[in-house]
Amino acid sequence: MKRLAAVVALLGLATATAACSGGATNKSGSGGGGGLFTTIDVNRPGLEPSAPANPYNPKGNSFLGYNAMKLAWVKNDLTDPNKFYPGIAASWDIAPDNSSVTIHLQPNGKWSDGKPVTAEDVKLSIGIAYTQGSTAFAITPGAAGAAADVQVVDDHTVKVTQDMTNPSMKFARGVLDTFVAPAHVWNSVLPADFWDKLKASRATGADAEKAREEITALGEKIIAFAPPKDTSAGPFTLERVNPSEALLVKNKNFFNAANVAPDQVKFLNYTGNEQIWNYLIGGKLDHAGFTAAPTNVMDRIKQAPGAQTIKGFSPVSVGLAFNQSKKPYDNVHVRKGLAYLIDRDQVTKVASPEGGTAAVTTSGIHQKPAQEWLGAELSALEPYKHDVAKAETEFKAAGLQKKDGKWALADGSPWKFSMHAPAGFSDWISAQENIKSQLATAGVDAEVVTTADYPLYLEELAAGKYDAGFWLLALGPAPYDIYQRLFGASNGWTNVAGKIAHAAPGKGGNWMGGPEEIDVAGVGKVNPGELTGKLNASTAEQAKPIMVELAKAANENLPLIQLWDYVNTQFVNTSRFTGWPEAEADVLRLPAGVWMQLGMVKKKQ
Amino acid sequence: MSTVILESAGTASTMRRNFWRGVWRVMLRKPSRLVGAVIVLGFAFMGVFGPMFYPDLLPHNADNIYAPMSGEHWFGTDGQGRDVVALVVTGSRYVLLSALVTAIITVVLGTSIGLFSGFKRGRWDTVLMRLTDMKLTIPGLPLLLVLSTVWKFGSAVEMGLLLGLLGWGGVARAVRSQTLSLRERGFIEAARGLGLSTTHIVGKELLPSMAPYIAMNMLIAVTGAVYAQVGLFFLGVLPYEANNWGVMLNLAVFGGGAMTTTAALPYMLAPLLAILLLTLGIVLVVDAMDEIFNPRLREE
Repeated sequence: MKRLAAVVALLGLATATAACSGGATNKSGSGGGGGLFTTIDVNRPGLEPSAPANPYNPKGNSFLGYNAMKLAWVKNDLTDPNKFYPGIAASWDIAPDNSSVTIHLQPNGKWSDGKPVTAEDVKLSIGIAYTQGSTAFAITPGAAGAAADVQVVDDHTVKVTQDMTNPSMKFARGVLDTFVAPAHVWNSVLPADFWDKLKASRATGADAEKAREEITALGEKIIAFAPPKDTSAGPFTLERVNPSEALLVKNKNFFNAANVAPDQVKFLNYTGNEQIWNYLIGGKLDHAGFTAAPTNVMDRIKQAPGAQTIKGFSPVSVGLAFNQSKKPYDNVHVRKGLAYLIDRDQVTKVASPEGGTAAVTTSGIHQKPAQEWLGAELSALEPYKHDVAKAETEFKAAGLQKKDGKWALADGSPWKFSMHAPAGFSDWISAQENIKSQLATAGVDAEVVTTADYPLYLEELAAGKYDAGFWLLALGPAPYDIYQRLFGASNGWTNVAGKIAHAAPGKGGNWMGGPEEIDVAGVGKVNPGELTGKLNASTAEQAKPIMVELAKAANENLPLIQLWDYVNTQFVNTSRFTGWPEAEADVLRLPAGVWMQLGMVKKKQ
Repeated sequence: MSTVILESAGTASTMRRNFWRGVWRVMLRKPSRLVGAVIVLGFAFMGVFGPMFYPDLLPHNADNIYAPMSGEHWFGTDGQGRDVVALVVTGSRYVLLSALVTAIITVVLGTSIGLFSGFKRGRWDTVLMRLTDMKLTIPGLPLLLVLSTVWKFGSAVEMGLLLGLLGWGGVARAVRSQTLSLRERGFIEAARGLGLSTTHIVGKELLPSMAPYIAMNMLIAVTGAVYAQVGLFFLGVLPYEANNWGVMLNLAVFGGGAMTTTAALPYMLAPLLAILLLTLGIVLVVDAMDEIFNPRLREE
């Protein structure tokens, strides 16, 4: 559960998207207030005292929003990927055709050592982003939404231009969602001829290939880089780390320091969810991000003095995805039959009572943005309500046989529906155990099989080893991001240099093995992969009709059964601090460090 | 000649009768031993026949998850609303069968290698004991963790086989020491002097003297195997099977928060109690066996 929480939280953050022009920094409210703010980093179980204060290092003691800063903070709006809160950038101008982003840095932005944050810092950070495989700063030739040029306009302005041969709506997001590191500390990590190398890498041929390899190789060096001291442009700076906690102190040079309440922030170490539960029950934490908890534990947490939970939207859903290369899952009637047999309310109740809402249907979109994207069309989709009789009809249509109350394959051989989940994801396992019981009651023999860990699970899933497995979907808000989970590489469609290619089932990462064209009632035959590809360059208005077609295709063809949509549940304690975000606020999808930079969190008087 | 045979057969049956009478006396002297025997027999019964009392698919109820202890559910229900006692009973077969397989393999391998090594001595002894040393230096748990990534342990026999193959070292060493000590005793010398075959000496003279020791080792190996596999399932490195005692512990602690709140506590306690009872039963039976086979301990 712990690892799943981390994955969900990471995906939630990673899928957030880009901006129009900047919002003003919140300068309201009385400044400071002092005090110690205690929290945990849900993305990182186990503190690593020897790790450097390096935001690129996965184990690094650089905490997003606290001492690790990005150009801007993506809002994860329901439909608009171009909305941000200011970070290192105070504002930004995005060209109407998405061809460029001009970034205006905070005029008072300073590093913790007192030096100003300049356009050179941003340029170096963009150089580093190239080595780390960023979307806007990709070195893959023809990648969608890649930058063509980075231009330092003046000390506080940088202009980044998009390569318009394969444009993406997400270009601005790719640019603004970039870490910023201090050039005066980090300049040794990139060689003097880096920008020439980058230019060379954009061509074709052996030299370009060599340049790309050299740039990628720099990535490792950057991950290992250990600055002698944490130099942060964020509201806090790392003071010390030991195996039980990391202590950060307020950065007096932070541009909005007057509105940052706590003097110190303490990150407590944990290795499992149950430790976080105990911290919360003991009232030790002022804030904790999404942590899965059973109802009884949640009730205890709520009883702690000052404890409060704030719920909001999280652009993540989970579904039971089929490998259609395997029989009988190639038959849509079998998939539909299974969808009718699974009572999603019951599954959610057992598996994720506090962190999820049963999916209203399979649309491929989280139910909240689904309303915005599909409007009235959402209610026109088949809801797949629990209905044993309909399931029976579907199974019969698929040619399955019922013998002694048990469903068998068309040729009479026994059928066992095998579901896979990674070990440790206890809510997924719990859900599958419930599905197993539900199916068995209706005469479908089923089993739950676990895989040692999540990376191995994804590897085996991609290798087509499973009949069915749980799969995260609806990773919005960008429409392309939402549907590429259903009609992207895992289902055969790859988007290289703006051209969509389809690989046969079992080849090129296509483990879902769905049909290349789907006959959608009222629309006709559609190629969902190509439609998804179109979303990359579409405006919200252009995207809407495509989203409707794709939702219908997903609902009709069921490459997976959407089970529940995650709810972003944040834990806060009002005993020491106030000014927490409201329920459903978009900042809930950002780290609490960002809430502090925006001047929201106040010391309780 | 036939009279002699009849006489010896009669003597054997008398001895057997005396032996069982002795066993009964030992059992009665400390009633706790009788309790131990009942517990062990109870677990054996549960492993063999227990699952037959329940349907293949245990009834679940999503509206009654982590239910408290009650007359209907003695140890409450799990996170799916299934009866915890039913899970313990149906899960006992895998645990006990694999423990039995482990014990048999440990004892058979350990005894044969130890006996052969101690009796033959010389080069065979050196080679086999170095092998045993090597095996003893392999840390069991890390090896199991690595193996679990490539081997799925779908069946109890596979699990038992692996734990057995990892566990014979200690028994082999102990049996070898016993053999080395016994082979110098007078009765073995006499047997050799009579020109009896090695098979006879090992099978009829040496082995019976060590039988109680081996039997006790076997019972202790059962508890060791239960701890090892339950531990592995608890850590979540082995495939998921809802009614496995280790998986139950894992789900109770990490899914149900049994260490944090009381709701899932009975769910955690049930498999723990089963393990505790099984260990207790075995310890008590071993205590009885010790006295049955060791005349010096008989308080007559």
